[in-house]
Amino acid sequence: MKNQTPKLYEGMYILSAQLSEDAKAKAFEKIKVGITEKQGKILKVHDQGKRKLAYAIGSHNDGHYYLMYFEIPPSVMEDLWGEYRLNEDLIRFMTIRTDKVLEKIEFKQLVTEQ
Amino acid sequence: MAQLVQRKRYSQDPLDAKKRTKKRCPFQSAGFRDIDYKDIETLSKFITERGKILPRRITGVSSHFQRRLALAIKRARYMALLPFYSHM
Repeated sequence: MKNQTPKLYEGMYILSAQLSEDAKAKAFEKIKVGITEKQGKILKVHDQGKRKLAYAIGSHNDGHYYLMYFEIPPSVMEDLWGEYRLNEDLIRFMTIRTDKVLEKIEFKQLVTEQ
Repeated sequence: MAQLVQRKRYSQDPLDAKKRTKKRCPFQSAGFRDIDYKDIETLSKFITERGKILPRRITGVSSHFQRRLALAIKRARYMALLPFYSHM
């Protein structure tokens, strides 16, 4: 029996920074459509912009980071990953289960040591 | 009864004083619930210049948060937010 109740996921995607603005938008749209056509629902998208990668991935030194929150039945995740692996514009991706949507990406500060 | 229980006094030896100062977990005292892999600013305080995870014997992180910290750092490394290895 497959699990059909949608669960909340957080996905981080690194798209190639070498793409033009148009191609980038199109590539990200493809990722979004991939989710919605599998009965997924996109809740929040954060465009985190271009960032230098901490290490080179293939020939890429920079990447365009996107963070997305979506609800999707866990059973279709495997298909989704398969799709991502075939996507050449997508350098890296990671989808993890979360329990809440971050409206703003900011974090608690550690107390400074005395 | 209460007067009979005398509190043990520690000696004034500086070596003892050093032993007594207990490190507090920085995450517990700041009231963290969980550690996020996107929070690079915090994570980078717990790695060496070369990118290795600092042991909790140095940082004073509790074992609960050290496990979460390690997971967050490893996730951040995979997403190229932090280096696996960095030349100085």
